[in-house]
Parts: sequence; C-alpha cells; structure tokens
Amino acid sequence: MTTKTGVIETSATLYAYTNEYISRQYGFEDLLREVARRGQGPGVEVVGFQSIRGFPDVDDAFAERFRELIAELGLRPTSLAINSDRFLKPGQPVADDVLAEYHRRQMRAAVKLGFPILRYQFATPPSLVRELAPYAEDLGLKLGLEVHAPAHAHHPLVLAYREVYEQVNSPALGWIPDFGGTAERLPQSFLDASRARGVPEGLIALLLEIWPEPGESHVRAGKLREIATRDGHASEHIQAVSLIFFILAKNDPRGWSELVDRTIHIHGKFYGVDADGREEAIDYDTILPIFRDGGFSGTICSEWEGHAYMVADAFDKVAAHQAMCRRILDAA
Amino acid sequence: MLPVERVIGDGGLSAGPDGGRLDVRLPWYRSLPLSTVRVEALEVDGAQIPLESLRFELDGGSWTLAELEDQTDRFWFVLDSARLVIPGLSLAPGSAHRVALTISLFPPYIPGMKRANAQSETLLVR
Repeated sequence: MTTKTGVIETSATLYAYTNEYISRQYGFEDLLREVARRGQGPGVEVVGFQSIRGFPDVDDAFAERFRELIAELGLRPTSLAINSDRFLKPGQPVADDVLAEYHRRQMRAAVKLGFPILRYQFATPPSLVRELAPYAEDLGLKLGLEVHAPAHAHHPLVLAYREVYEQVNSPALGWIPDFGGTAERLPQSFLDASRARGVPEGLIALLLEIWPEPGESHVRAGKLREIATRDGHASEHIQAVSLIFFILAKNDPRGWSELVDRTIHIHGKFYGVDADGREEAIDYDTILPIFRDGGFSGTICSEWEGHAYMVADAFDKVAAHQAMCRRILDAA
Repeated sequence: MLPVERVIGDGGLSAGPDGGRLDVRLPWYRSLPLSTVRVEALEVDGAQIPLESLRFELDGGSWTLAELEDQTDRFWFVLDSARLVIPGLSLAPGSAHRVALTISLFPPYIPGMKRANAQSETLLVR
C-alpha cells in the first residue's frame, strides 16, 4: 500500500504572540494585521478566552467584524482553541451536563466565526467527547484533542480517547498533536531565562536531573519542589522552574506515526530555533516527515511558547520556525 | 518581570472620594471567571491592608473579596483593568507610595493548579 504524501501548510496561532497582546502592544485586530503583513498565515488559530470578550459566547458584532477582517486580510480561520472550565470554583467540579453545555456554547462560537476545527484539551473527558460527537457532526465541525505534554501517542490519557475514537468512528473526531510531549531536552533559552531571573545553579542542576526521569509531571514537579524547599530555594524560583514540567516531556517522537491518520491540525510547539536552524528542544527533523510521509494534509501552526518565560519578538520567532518547517517539509 | 506576571496596572494608584484606588491586571494569558481569582495580600507603605475592607470593581460590578468566590459567570477579560478600592486610605496627589500586591489564580481547566503572582512598585498618586 502506498500513502499519498501530505501537503502541510505553515500557519499562525495568536497564542504565540501572547506577550505582544497582554502587554497591550497589539490588540486582536493589530495581531491579525501583523500576521497577514508578515505572511505568517494565511491559516490562523484563535484562543477563544484570550481574544474574545464575552467568550464562551460570541456576539453578532464581533463575529461580523472578524469575518470582515479575515476577508480583508486574506486570512483563513483554522482552529478555535477552547477550554473545559470544570473547576469554576477551585476544587469543586461542575456537573457533567453543565460542562457539556459549556462546550456546546464554544462549539457554536466556532461555527459562528467560521472555524472548521475546535481544539479541546484533556480537561474534556473522553465520555463527554463521545456525547458531543453527533452535535459536532450536525454543526459540520471537527473536534481535535490537543495531544499535549506530558502525553504522547501511547500515554494512558491518550489511549482512553483512542478507544472512544475507535468505538464512535466519527469523522468529527481527530487529533491535534503538540510536539511538547516528545521533547529531547530542555530548551537552552529556558535555562538562560531561569538564570537571568536569579535561579541558582543548584536548582538548575536539580531540574536537569529530575525533568528527564520517567513519571507523571506533577509527581516529578512535586519531587523537585520537596527537595528544593528542603534545600532552602526561594518559592518564586521553584515556581519559575516547575512550569517546564507541564509544557515539555521527554518521549520518543516516533510514536506520532500512530496518530497521523486522524490528525486534523498540528500545534508546532517551539521555544527557539538555534543558529543551525534546529529547534532547541524538539527534533523537528524526525517529527515532520512522519506526518508528511504518513499522508497528513493540513495546517501546522507555529506555537511559540517561550513567552511563558522570556520576552522577545514573537513575530521573529515564528518567522524562524516557519522557515525551519519549510526547509524540512520541502526536502525530498 | 514577564507581562503575564504583572498584577499592578498602568493606571496605578489614585485617590477617590471613598479612599484609594489601585489599578490591577489579570496575571494570565486568557480571561478567567472571578471565582478563580484571589487577592491574597495588599500592602501600602509597609502596612497590611485588611482584605475584608477591600472592594473589587470591574465592568460596572463591585464585590467584597469574599463575594468574588461565587462569581462563576463573571469573566475578567484579560485586557481589562479592575480596581481595588481601599476605603479610608487618604492619598495626597503626587505623593509616592510603596505598594505590594499578591494575586493568586486557580485556572479552572487545570485541576489543582495555583499560581501566585506578587509585584511591588513605588507609585505616584494620580
């Protein structure tokens, strides 16, 4: 059997430009204009709760303005990122039917804005995905699970969704791989930023020792916290380095091959492209051909997440990432 | 300090008819329901302000900090400034004050996560 080579298009997620946005340098419209001006689209992903006042609902005026802008700028909505806010009060989960309706509101928002894909996370349980699949089909919407760190194709979390996907077998259900789950190492820019904010070498060494160990993120982060607290490190420094356990995990990237068939969009998670044109933490040269040669056609959005620990021009970061992706994808 | 860590807004400290007002920001990348936001501590010139005396104002609404815990349907849009009203705090225009504020968040889609953000600044009363 031969598989048709996939055609993968680079694109943007506004999440990459979070610092430009929350520092009030660029408003929502400014970001869209700059994405278009710098050719970082045409596909664009939006985080509903980040960009849209009134979300999980979208009012008519916002929807109309968004559609006008997209048309004017030559952009194309790819994926609307939603959240499953089960813990509206800390520690007190809302009932399943309340959570289901919370998702349906966000699904209707996606349709109203013209997004063909809705990105959901592990906080949306597999049983709810099963329940929402027929509604997604009725709306003509695809639901994509962001397979995010610490998970990967074989992680027990993902296996539970794989089982539901196989049972339901709906064209509305798919994957959005996020490469943070299959990192090779910690990004140098993260270590540099940690040192710049005063994290002592002893705590850096502890991080480098514990991060690659097997086990769940919260268990390893808890171990680091316990040892670091005992060693007298500042809570601010411990919080700063603990972040990385929840956004990056070390796993074999070749596992992605098992998810290619149902992949509907990709989160090109990255932290920085080094002088040799390689991502600091994630082995794109291994990962991207798996999707291309496996027949995935669709969008990969450049999801720079270095903004969580450093300030830099996200548009420049995205430009470097898209150039790297094109180099790899266009090679025979 | 990263943009996402800032809790003191550009509006800074101002004097109002009923006391001082502090402009505050949501230290997260997305909007959150007010029920997941906790004002943990506020100091002005080294003195702790009793938290039960504070009012939190946003978008035409006004709550005590205890009342915020029930506001599951009121979202704090990530770009909007809120105000902490500090009753009885008398501030001379142009005077300088050291303000330290800690706000913690419990992102509602990440079970068990608590993130504390502390910022202290010397602010001139507007």
